[in-house]
Amino acid sequence: MKRRFSFVKFLILPGAMLILAGISAGIVSGTWGSIPFGLIIAGIVLIGLWMVLIGRFEDPLAPTFWKRRSTQASTNALVSTIAVLVILGLINFLAVRAAQRIDLTESRLFTLSPESQQVLQEMQQGVKIWVFSSDRNPQDVDLLENYQRRTPKFSFEFVDPQANPGLAQAFGVKNAGDVFIELQSSKRRQFLQSISPQARLSESRVTNGILQITSDRRSKAYFLQGHGEKSLTEGEGAISNSVKALEDKNFTNEPLNLAQLGRVPSDASAVLVIGPTRTLPEGEVKALQDYSNQGGNLLIAVDPNVKAGLDPFLNTWGVKLDDRIAINAPDQQLTNAGPAVAVVTQYGAHPITKDFGNGISFYPIARPIDITQISGVQATPLLLTDPNSWAESNIKQQPLKLDGGDRPGPLAISVALDRTVTPTPSPSPTASPSPNASPSPSPSPLASKPARLVVFGNSTFIVNGFSNQQLNGDVFLNSVTWVSQDPLQPLSIRPKDVKNRRIVLNNEQALLIGFLALGIVPLFGFITAGVVWWQRR
Amino acid sequence: MKTVLYNILAIYRRELLSYFTSPLMYAIAAVFWLVSGFLFTVTLDGVIQQAAQYDQATAAGISTAPIDIPYEFIRTILGVIGSLSLFVLPILSMGLYAEERKRGTLELLATSPVTNWAVAVGKLLGVMTFFFTMSLPLLLYEAIALSNVNPPIQINVLLLGHLGLLLLAGSVLSLGMFMSSLTDSTIVAAIFTFTLVLALWVVDLIARNFGGVVGEAIGHLSLLKHYTNLIQGIVDTSSLVVFASYIFLGIFLTAQSIDAFRFQRS
Repeated sequence: MKRRFSFVKFLILPGAMLILAGISAGIVSGTWGSIPFGLIIAGIVLIGLWMVLIGRFEDPLAPTFWKRRSTQASTNALVSTIAVLVILGLINFLAVRAAQRIDLTESRLFTLSPESQQVLQEMQQGVKIWVFSSDRNPQDVDLLENYQRRTPKFSFEFVDPQANPGLAQAFGVKNAGDVFIELQSSKRRQFLQSISPQARLSESRVTNGILQITSDRRSKAYFLQGHGEKSLTEGEGAISNSVKALEDKNFTNEPLNLAQLGRVPSDASAVLVIGPTRTLPEGEVKALQDYSNQGGNLLIAVDPNVKAGLDPFLNTWGVKLDDRIAINAPDQQLTNAGPAVAVVTQYGAHPITKDFGNGISFYPIARPIDITQISGVQATPLLLTDPNSWAESNIKQQPLKLDGGDRPGPLAISVALDRTVTPTPSPSPTASPSPNASPSPSPSPLASKPARLVVFGNSTFIVNGFSNQQLNGDVFLNSVTWVSQDPLQPLSIRPKDVKNRRIVLNNEQALLIGFLALGIVPLFGFITAGVVWWQRR
Repeated sequence: MKTVLYNILAIYRRELLSYFTSPLMYAIAAVFWLVSGFLFTVTLDGVIQQAAQYDQATAAGISTAPIDIPYEFIRTILGVIGSLSLFVLPILSMGLYAEERKRGTLELLATSPVTNWAVAVGKLLGVMTFFFTMSLPLLLYEAIALSNVNPPIQINVLLLGHLGLLLLAGSVLSLGMFMSSLTDSTIVAAIFTFTLVLALWVVDLIARNFGGVVGEAIGHLSLLKHYTNLIQGIVDTSSLVVFASYIFLGIFLTAQSIDAFRFQRS
């Protein structure tokens, strides 16, 4: 009997191993299903058996294990240790919950700006930031934790797009490092920015993202249809991706049929005419003109070789569409795209293009745009082709070269214009000064706003397949945002103003530090050690 | 209460005296000074060169943001010294009790009228003072290096960083003291302490695998996270509580372990 059960005192070993195996299995698989739990429970049972049975089968003369004084002391120690650990755990839990942070850095580097704090304070709905990146950059985590500390309505999560491709696809992640913001209540998601070692998460983007996604107001963009314009729904040559990107920017998109409606709906933030292939009837051009005269906003993209019938309207803005085709400079021609793909690396000084630097955008078969100054209209060329490019009048003549009838570059292939609206009812160029010119008391709240217009000499650059390449999508999105005069102006959050300091050392100081750090101080230590050792010998 | 304080003070003085008459401790300090001095000069050179490159880029017309080099330097050097301390601190704490055990004087301490608590606190204060003395030359170098900075730096971030270093040292030494009380081999104590502290240093990495509340709780154990907070110039009350918890836990466990030692022979 005794012999047979003497193995009992070793039960603690398999017990501990089973618990360890259970914990490892749980960690490795990431789920705490039946197998890890089963292993842990089996281990606990074994250890329990060991505790009950230990000492029972030992020498009957010695006090059994549980009766020894050392066991009692150890048990006391164990119990009080566990108690202390639990108490310390609770204290730390409370300390984390009620943590106060004091930022001692001069420019308060680790504190959110007052604007962000205000936005967080007024935030009503839960907002979550999703970062699709495999590495948790401490700088980004710090920033997000700063937001989280301010309000429990804010949360964030890092997702490895490789480890969780389903979620990444649901969000439409294109690159590792994409950051999305999600409104918890409606699961509405918006792209925020893309992070990389060069571009870290920025407070300004996050705060403005929160502001945008929590605001109820959505701008409405109408796409004119009915004259061969680019289709909004999925398909060959459609612009559905660009439309989707606009939705992410808080726009509602709707097709517009002017032939039926007769006028532009009053809730329009912008009307977009993208790549018509047939001529617009005069009535529709008139409707657009009226809309523009009341402070409306238009984005017009017309491909070469198209008579869209928009010229009279564009002329009132001083814009003329050239019929030639922009030919790219020979040294910049894309190898497999041909000379007619205009590559743009220079951008005008304008809010639309201010972040582009020398980035590339390209426009397959574009027409240049002429601008003449008209008083009251401010025109800024947005996209400028290379100085060595030219506008070709005869595309059939090979090889293409700059000759008679052509125009040397650089060419503007897009222009942004705005003007303040004068309350004249019909400012057509031939407006006879009719004496009845009492402006109809139409309650147009738009009248005080300046009218805006962006014209592109190309519409292919935003069709699916092109829109996601280089800066093409950004050119379009920024243009629509600017043109729609979105009232939700982004907060400008100043970057922390860091003191510009340098460490200046004169020769003596540098020498002194070198001598002290590498010579005198260590030597002092070694010599003293030697002396003390000698004395104690 | 008064006697307890006197006891602590007596133990403290005995410990300090033993450090300042021990050639081994001077040798350890000398090696620490040599390595930290080397790291200091290398880091300083690196930071100054980086700033020069940065200025060249600015001169060449590349727009750059302003940069506070002294601040970056303080952060970097204190981070480096913190990592170096991970190797030095277990050596300082390894002999605290193990040596007494080996010499057979632990019985005297354990059965003396001085409580185990007072002994542990006195010993910890002694070794912390010794480490603080070891870190003083660094403050001197920093004072020389940063004396010409214009506009002058604000001293509070620097001082907070050194306070962080002391708190970090206190936590590691306290846990090391417990390890030392478990064994009569100083080497074993040092290795165990080093392993434990390394685990607490990088526990962040493990916490990331969990996520959620469990991950946060595990990540909270990380010494590096809280140390980084302090040397960056952020006073987070929860970080202070964590360091205090570690120091208290080390003292408590040491007292428990000596208590248990008393009854082991019965």
